[in-house]
Amino acid sequence: MPTDWGSLLIQLFSGLSRAMMLFLVSSGLSLIFGVMNILNFAHATLWLLGGYITFSIYTLLAGYYGVSILLLAPAVVAATLALFAIGWAIERTLVRRMYGRELPEQLLLTFALILIIGDLIRLFWGVQNLRIVLPIEPMPVLGSFVNPYLFFIIAVGLIVAGLLWWFLARTRTGKIVRAAVYSRDMVSALGIRIPNIYALVFALGVAIAAFSAGVFLPIIPIGLGMDMDLIVQCFAVVVIGGFGSIVGTFVASLLVGIVYSFSILIWPDGALAIIFVILVAVLIWRPWGLFGTEMRF
Amino acid sequence: MSDQLMKHFKGINRREFLVTGLGAGVVALVPRLAFSQGAEPYRIGVLLPTTGAGANYSERPIKGLPLIAAEINKRGGFLGKHPIELIFRDTQTKPDVGAREARSLILNEKVKTVIGAWSSAVAMAVQEIVHEYKVLHLAATSNSSKIVNENYTPYTFMFGPNSQMQSSATVVAVSKMIKEKGWKNYVTLGLDYEWGRDAQKVFVAELAKVSPETKLSKELWAKLGETDFTSYITAIMGLKPDFVFGAIAGKDNETFLQQAKAAGFFQRVVYPGVFLPVTELMQQRQTLPRGIFGLNRCPFFALMDKPLMKKYVELYQAKFGKDDFPDDFACMYFDSLNGLDQAITKAGTIATEAVRKAMTGATLDTCRGKLTFRDCNNQLDCASYLGEVVDVPEYPFPIFNPKTLIVVEGRDVWLPASCEDVRKIQKKRA
Repeated sequence: MPTDWGSLLIQLFSGLSRAMMLFLVSSGLSLIFGVMNILNFAHATLWLLGGYITFSIYTLLAGYYGVSILLLAPAVVAATLALFAIGWAIERTLVRRMYGRELPEQLLLTFALILIIGDLIRLFWGVQNLRIVLPIEPMPVLGSFVNPYLFFIIAVGLIVAGLLWWFLARTRTGKIVRAAVYSRDMVSALGIRIPNIYALVFALGVAIAAFSAGVFLPIIPIGLGMDMDLIVQCFAVVVIGGFGSIVGTFVASLLVGIVYSFSILIWPDGALAIIFVILVAVLIWRPWGLFGTEMRF
Repeated sequence: MSDQLMKHFKGINRREFLVTGLGAGVVALVPRLAFSQGAEPYRIGVLLPTTGAGANYSERPIKGLPLIAAEINKRGGFLGKHPIELIFRDTQTKPDVGAREARSLILNEKVKTVIGAWSSAVAMAVQEIVHEYKVLHLAATSNSSKIVNENYTPYTFMFGPNSQMQSSATVVAVSKMIKEKGWKNYVTLGLDYEWGRDAQKVFVAELAKVSPETKLSKELWAKLGETDFTSYITAIMGLKPDFVFGAIAGKDNETFLQQAKAAGFFQRVVYPGVFLPVTELMQQRQTLPRGIFGLNRCPFFALMDKPLMKKYVELYQAKFGKDDFPDDFACMYFDSLNGLDQAITKAGTIATEAVRKAMTGATLDTCRGKLTFRDCNNQLDCASYLGEVVDVPEYPFPIFNPKTLIVVEGRDVWLPASCEDVRKIQKKRA
């Protein structure tokens, strides 16, 4: 194991960037389950779809204006809005029929969505991995090199986490969403249209995931099958953090990302196992997660 | 079925696919009617992943195989009277799916030969099925050494250098560099599945024999399908090894190389012997770091003096354009189908047992020249090619430097060295 501070700090950066991706995808998953009691297995597949749409828009723009990191911004924004609309439509047409149904039925529906969206992706984009190639040059840091895009990802993750916290803690709609996590009957009794809140939460969760897929495209390629791998990690994060808790999801993402990164350095064979040991420990000690609330059980 | 699979490939546009599919279908069909009405077709199941880690290597075999089949069908098929019918199935790079599809191909489609699959883990699952039903299995590109050794079945024939041969070939090149540069320690990074483990194990063992003073300081294993190698890359750079041996392939290899380049990995660490098939030289033409030392199994650019290679490159380009070239995988699939044709001709029948016997120990004319199967384990005596990635004016993508290309012959590095020892480790099957 390297003992110089430079190497350890760079390892920390890589763990933080992994944590930010986990947070951006898991926050929507957590929010959707926390508010709507819907276990959206298709969440990572919608994340993937967001990545493909970002890729297509970016490629179109790059065809006109040439390769530039600046073009990533409109592509990501457009894909985020597109997935917001798709999320809204899915909630209104399919997911709303699942409220109050048993978990296996929810899983069947969301699993069907995985297959349908997966086949659509295969049809439109093919099976090759896709990635936005940007001329990113390594940056010298503390006697080594690091991909400077990692810092951008960490910054974006922190900003989104801050905005999400602000939305949930400081805005009226956010407070209604939080209230719905605890008691949707009471929120409904106050005359607030719960179906609209549900559609908003579902669309917002999916949009955040799409946003993260786009932001990560210059360093992480997208390809069929990645969604299944990611959703397992996201569930681990959400269970550790507590369903419905954004703070919990953020802390759990940091925990999983950093522990994983340093495990590779110290005990590479057990890197993934350690995450699931933490998961099992949390399930035994606090089944509702580190920041979840006991009342949901 | 094959049409449905093929049209999903991004590398083939719809018009191209339709023309290719229809063309291959017509060419495959006409001789059946013209030459041999009522003759038994020869059905071949092709197992390739169109999803999962190996999907990026399937495009060109799927595009190219129908061309070879059509060529053979022009003369009526095998023995002039058994037109070839290809049936493609997606393994999803999953052993259980591969085994299920192999069984379905044998029982429902009545195939006489199965070609594939990409993943060694899938191929080993398929071996159990082909052995049970006594169907030929041409492991065109799957190359764990266990396929021909520990998991041996006389029905499987391997058309590429196996993982041990590749790793030993890398040792030949690396040991040369160790002497020149005085390297003392190294790290390995492998994909945590059958092929990755096997390739890493042989490299470490063989290097210890030729250069015992060079120490392995850390083994890193990434899961198959890893999309974020950042933590592995920073960890390796932090460990400051003299060089790194990688056993990574497929989409994961592409991901690793791109992330490693952006992280400055190649400026700090030497990475010799990375698996760089023609597929990746073409796909990563913009981003692949020049000067790194790679390995591949059937580089067309080094084999254009071989008549079959020249013929098939021309055939392929006539259909898919001058900018597209058959990759290592297409090459080995071509050799498999062409080799089957030669074995059937030698046997004078399409009966499986006779063809198997004809192929055992046979010398075949391939895209890589005349190559012979090792008769104790059906391993083709084929070379591994190692070289430095450079740009040349002849091709729109980098190739291996022809001036310094190292060709390591199969028989010089295959393990175990004697057939007696091979037989000792082979599975005793009923």
